[in-house]
Amino acid sequence: MDSRLRSLAEQLDANVIARREFLRKAAIITGGTAAGLQALNQMAHAQAKTKLRVWLFKSFVTGGNDVLAKQVEAWAKERNVEVEADWSTFGDREQKFVAAIEAGNPPDMAEMNYQGPMRYKPALRDLTKLAKEIAGARGGILPYAERYVLIGNQYFGVPRLAFPGGFFIRRDILEAKGIKPPKTYDPDVIEMARKCQEPAKDLWGLGQTLNRCDDGNGFMQNILWSYGGSVWDKDGKPALGTTYLKENLQALQFAIDTIQKHKIQPPGVMGWNDVSNNEAYLAGKLVSTNNGASLYYAMVAKKHPLAEKTQVILNPGGPAGSFSGTGAYNWGIFSKSKYADLCEDLIRYVEDEKRFEEYMKACIGQAGPVYKTRADHPYWRSDPNFEGMVQNILRSVWTGHPGPITPAAIEVQAQYILCDMAGRVVVGGLAPEAALREAHKRVEDIYKIRNRA
Amino acid sequence: MAVPAARLETKATLGVANPRGGLARVLGPDYRLGYLFVTPIAIAVLALVAYPFCYAVYLSLTYKLVGMPPVFVGLENYIRLYDDGFFRRAVYNSFLFTFGSVGFKLVLGMLMALVLMSKIRWRSFWTGVLLIPWVAPTVVSALNFLWIFDGSLGVLNYLLVKVFRILPQGVGWLSEPGTAMASVISVNVWRGFPFFGISFLAGMKAIPGELYEAAAVDGATALQRFMHVTLPGIKNITIIVVLLSTIWTFNDFGIVYILTKGGPGGSTMVMPVLTYETAFGAQRLGEAIAVALYLLPGLALTIVVLARYMRKGRKR
Repeated sequence: MDSRLRSLAEQLDANVIARREFLRKAAIITGGTAAGLQALNQMAHAQAKTKLRVWLFKSFVTGGNDVLAKQVEAWAKERNVEVEADWSTFGDREQKFVAAIEAGNPPDMAEMNYQGPMRYKPALRDLTKLAKEIAGARGGILPYAERYVLIGNQYFGVPRLAFPGGFFIRRDILEAKGIKPPKTYDPDVIEMARKCQEPAKDLWGLGQTLNRCDDGNGFMQNILWSYGGSVWDKDGKPALGTTYLKENLQALQFAIDTIQKHKIQPPGVMGWNDVSNNEAYLAGKLVSTNNGASLYYAMVAKKHPLAEKTQVILNPGGPAGSFSGTGAYNWGIFSKSKYADLCEDLIRYVEDEKRFEEYMKACIGQAGPVYKTRADHPYWRSDPNFEGMVQNILRSVWTGHPGPITPAAIEVQAQYILCDMAGRVVVGGLAPEAALREAHKRVEDIYKIRNRA
Repeated sequence: MAVPAARLETKATLGVANPRGGLARVLGPDYRLGYLFVTPIAIAVLALVAYPFCYAVYLSLTYKLVGMPPVFVGLENYIRLYDDGFFRRAVYNSFLFTFGSVGFKLVLGMLMALVLMSKIRWRSFWTGVLLIPWVAPTVVSALNFLWIFDGSLGVLNYLLVKVFRILPQGVGWLSEPGTAMASVISVNVWRGFPFFGISFLAGMKAIPGELYEAAAVDGATALQRFMHVTLPGIKNITIIVVLLSTIWTFNDFGIVYILTKGGPGGSTMVMPVLTYETAFGAQRLGEAIAVALYLLPGLALTIVVLARYMRKGRKR
């Protein structure tokens, strides 16, 4: 109890003061104390730092993650801002976004993958001015990356980087057999795989799952394009079992044949996930595999003996050419944020060319270009393996190609419909055409549902 | 002046109007205090169970995308799911996964309980060891089995092919529909049978020893004692355990998601995984909840029937 109040109470008990006098003085003391506390509270708040909630993406490339975290911390210190940085991963990113948006409590800003701007547009801020400002100083955004952030005439994200992919081959084995790096899947990859593999020693020509995972999804999408097919037509309408039926069927047949007819894939490949081919390749069980640059990072960073024996080349092509879909990562600011200016400032800070260069070098190929000037950076000529990666990015197309990128196209990817289509043939015993028509129906359903929105 | 209790009682018994009103006559004189006691728990149940459940039912009747307001579409989500072959396969897989797992768990759990009831050395130690799968976190168990079942680098194929030379080539445990389903069931069984075993063990210990002695005096064999003494003695526990395990297994998400993600080709897709994929992959929240609620009436009916059966058994 306050000593003044205690004293008053004692005086009241001793009948020194009247009850009315006691109440009057006690009210003054209590009111004064409350007012003082309120003033102190306001002063404390006035001095408290602004708190910014930032969600960053944690990739397998830990060196890059560390640099990004360090840069965000440095920015926070410079601007006297408290940053609550939270990391999301491949496994929990979308779940976190969905939960936060639905709960009405999204972060101030976040690093999103290629699906982010299209999916979370209702909760995102228009960043047209900032995106144009940053892109303008870097020669413009590469076309594939711009498709992911430009919705209508507005930008709902600022492109940051792309995870480049490539075809990883065991150069030592190919050289020993006198085989040139493949340029097409059929016949080059098949012949290379047949000649190089030794199943008795558990060495397999190709490691490419068609199972429900991002690796399976990416391969199936690329192979449809490379055979002249696609899930979508030029107007963004379903074309899997209609316009491009013939081409898609050929592509699907090739994918299945790698397992069933040519037998160049290891047993159990249909049960693989995104890390299985990395593990199998690093264990020396594969002659070739498609993967992101993170596999190369893992080899170089850990000084794995296969780093010297590996060559990363352009993705092999099909009858229509070699196609590759690369997803760009983007910065987004949520419309609920009260600190949009600070968020924009942080984006400018980490996208500063010197800082991005530091990040890019720490990533060993994983931070692919999304701006024209970054694609010309000498770094991409510093390692012969980077050439295939950056060339894959430069000729990248987008989800939904040859049509526009749409919510339906994003959802077909997210639901692994192409993987299911292949799986229904390889393990479900369905005829390829029946599986294709089944998948087409699912695509049409998604198209109808999404178009209603 | 206070009215004597006996007089009030007589009035109530004779149906004479009570000055406190009808509710007091029906619920007792302290019914207001009863409301006070019940109110907090009623509020908690309404807030934590009834409201979310009713809201989920409402959402399942809407077209709801992330960040957008829901649009009421009636039963459309349920009708579309009924026509969806992928959903139907998920329903079939869910039943296969659930009943396959529960069946094996029942048998293994019974064996475990019988072994632990017999006179073996270090019984407490073995009880503890057999409980390990039950107490280990699902994610840890599933990730370990992912490595065990791996076609190229897994320990199971290594043992079968290289150590024991039973097979000429490794098996794709998670890459063929049959083996993939068997694999996810086996992991669920491995995790769940200790619960059955421990529950049965508790039930068996409660059966009076005199019953076994009497059966033995009558010349009953071990099998007959098991069939006519043990099984009837643990009937209620068996029903409860099967009921609980059926619900848990039907809702098991972690094992299937980590091991196969529903693949290959949707051959192990079960309803919890489909719900998750529809919610976070497709990001159609209304439809995802419809997937989750689809079989709720059937499950609820099963629970009610079993519960009534149990109560009837107890009365007898």
